[in-house]
Amino acid sequence: MTPLIRSTMCDLLPAAAGLPGLAETGIDAFLARLHRETTGLTWLGLCLGALVYTLTPVLTVYIPLPHFALPQRLRDQHAERIMATRIYLVRQAVFLLKMYACMCWGQDDAVRRLLNVAPYPVDPGTFRASSADIPAIAP
Amino acid sequence: MTRNHTAYQPKGSEVTAEADYVVVGTGAGGAAAAVTLARAGASVLLVEAGPWRDPHDYAHSTYGALRDMMDDWGSTITMGRALWPVVQARLVGGTTVINSAICVRTPADVFEEWARDHGVGITAVGGRTFAERLGSYQDQLERELCVAETGPDALGRSNELALKGDAAAGYEGHIIRRYAKGCIGSGQCLQGCSSMKKQSTNLNYIPETLSLGGAILSCAPVDRIVWDGDRAVGVTGRFLHPQSREKGATFHARAKKAVFIAASATWSPVILQKSGVKHKAVGAGFRAHPGTGVFGIYDDPVDMNRGVTQGWASTRFRKEPGLKLETLSIPMEMAISRLAGGGKALMERIAGYRHIAMWVHALRARTAGRVDVGWTGRPVVRYGLDEADMRGFREGMWRVAQLHFAAGARAVVPGITGLPYSLERKDVDCIANGPLNPQNYVAILSHLFGGCTMGADPSRSVCDDAGRVHGRRSLYVADASIFPDNIGVNPQHTIMSLAMDIATRALG
Repeated sequence: MTPLIRSTMCDLLPAAAGLPGLAETGIDAFLARLHRETTGLTWLGLCLGALVYTLTPVLTVYIPLPHFALPQRLRDQHAERIMATRIYLVRQAVFLLKMYACMCWGQDDAVRRLLNVAPYPVDPGTFRASSADIPAIAP
Repeated sequence: MTRNHTAYQPKGSEVTAEADYVVVGTGAGGAAAAVTLARAGASVLLVEAGPWRDPHDYAHSTYGALRDMMDDWGSTITMGRALWPVVQARLVGGTTVINSAICVRTPADVFEEWARDHGVGITAVGGRTFAERLGSYQDQLERELCVAETGPDALGRSNELALKGDAAAGYEGHIIRRYAKGCIGSGQCLQGCSSMKKQSTNLNYIPETLSLGGAILSCAPVDRIVWDGDRAVGVTGRFLHPQSREKGATFHARAKKAVFIAASATWSPVILQKSGVKHKAVGAGFRAHPGTGVFGIYDDPVDMNRGVTQGWASTRFRKEPGLKLETLSIPMEMAISRLAGGGKALMERIAGYRHIAMWVHALRARTAGRVDVGWTGRPVVRYGLDEADMRGFREGMWRVAQLHFAAGARAVVPGITGLPYSLERKDVDCIANGPLNPQNYVAILSHLFGGCTMGADPSRSVCDDAGRVHGRRSLYVADASIFPDNIGVNPQHTIMSLAMDIATRALG
C-alpha cells in the first residue's frame, strides 16, 4: 500500500506556485519511518484513505479510472474536489493523508526557508530511561 | 523505594514500590496533588503512563510531537456525528508540556453554578469557603510558577494584529497571563518549550516531589486499582515501551494511605471502570471546549510562527454564547493542512502562508458526552454538539472573522465545507448563517472535563468535593474529570488549585 499512499500524498501536494512538491521533500524516507513508528490503526487509516482517494475520481471528475491513470489536469481537479466532497467519511479519510503529507512537506528545510519559518532541528526521540538522577528544579 | 525514577522495565521481572500516597498521572492535577502531599512530609509515588522527556528530549516537528508526546499519536477522536480529535499528552508533565501555559483564575460564576447545580463547595473548610481556598492556592501557583504577561518583544505580529483588531472591535481582550518565565516567543509551546521558559510540571512540581523523597514510575500505564475490600491500596499495570510499544514488566504501586487518580478526563473514568467501580455516573458528564480557527489574510507578511503561540485572548463573550477568543499559531505543517483543497490550488494557497494569521474560538459547550472503556482498553469518547451549541460555535467563527477584519485583514478563510475558500468583509455573514452540521467544520476538543464528576448526591456523581470516590475508601480523583461542568476558560489553574485543595483535605 505504500506506493499508493505515496502517490496520493504527492497528488495532494504537487510542485506548483514556486514551491517544491512533496516528491522532492523526502517522502520515501518519511513513509518508511511512519510505517515503522506509527500505530497500526493510523497506518490502516492511511491505507484506507489512499484507497478511497484512488477509487473516487468517478465522483469528482466523472471518469472511472484510478487517480494515477488520470492526466495531470484532472489529477489536480480530483485533489481539489475530493477535499470538498459532501461525503464526510471520504473527506475525513483523505484529510488524514493530507495531514501527514503536510507534516512531511512542512518539515523540509527548503520549504521552511521559502515560507520564512525557522528550520527544525532533528527530533531527538529520546527519553529518560535511567533511574540515576533527579532533575534540578527549574530556575 | 531505593530509586527515585524507574522507567520501562522489560518482561521477566516485577517492580514493586510503596509509599504513603500513590498518585496516578503527572499533569496539572497529579503534580499539584503530589507536591502538596510531599511538602506535608508524606511519601509519594507517582505513576505516569508516558515516558519522562526533558526539554532536550522534546521533539521540534509536529511529527515528532505526535510520536513522542501525544496519547497514541493523537488518534483519540470523538465518536459522534463528527470525528473531532481529542488533544491530550502522554508523558511526565502531561498536557502541561504541550499546552500554551495559559493561566486564568476560576471565574466567580463557576463556584456559584457548581454550588447551585451540584452541591459542590457548600461547606467551608478551616473557616474558608471553597472559592477562598482555591483563590489562595491560585495565588500560590502564580507565585511559584512565575505567572506573567508575555512581554512585547515576544508577542509577534499575529498577536499584535489581534490587539489592534481588539482595539477597533471592542472585544475587551488582553495579553494572556501564562506560566512562563521570560518567554522569548519561540512559538514552540505545542511541541514543548525547549528553552525551558514554560513552567510545565515536569520542570518544577515533579522534581520537587522527588527531591522531597518521592519516587516515580514512568512508561507505566495503570491497568487497574487494587482493592482491599472497598479500600484502595494501590494500582497495578505493565510497563509500556514508548518507542516499540512492547509490554514489559508488571508493576505494583502500593499505597499505605490513599490512591489519587489524576490521569485526565478520558483516562481517569476508564481506570475506575476497569477497576470495578460500577456506577452509572462513571464516564458520564464528559464535557469540553470544542474550538476551531479562522485564518485572516493580510497584505503584509504576518509570519505567525514567530512570537508566542498564544498571546491575546478575550472573554467578553464567555457568558453568552459561551466563547473564548484567542490567537493560536499552530505549527506551519498543521496550519497548511487546514487550508482547503488539494493539488495545484492548495499549493497556490500555501504560497501565501506568510500573510495569514490563525485565531480561534473555544466554546463553553452545554452538550455532555460519555467516556467508556473500548475493546482495546482505551477510552472511547462519545460526544457531539447539539444544535444550540453549534449556533454558538458558528457565532464564534463569525466573531473571530470580524476581529480579523477589524485588524485589517483583506479576507478570511473560514474552513467551512460548503462555503467559499475565502470571504471578503461584505460576505462575512455567510459564516453567521453557515451550516449547523458539525461535519462541515474541522474542530478539536482541547479542554476536557467530567467523567468522574463531583457532587453532593452520590446517585448522580462519582466523588464529593474533597475528591473522595463515593462508596470507596482511600480513593481520590484530582483532575479535570471531577469538574461537574465546563468553565469557559483555560482550566489548568482551576485543576491545579482544586488538586491542591483535595490533597490538603486528604492530609487532614
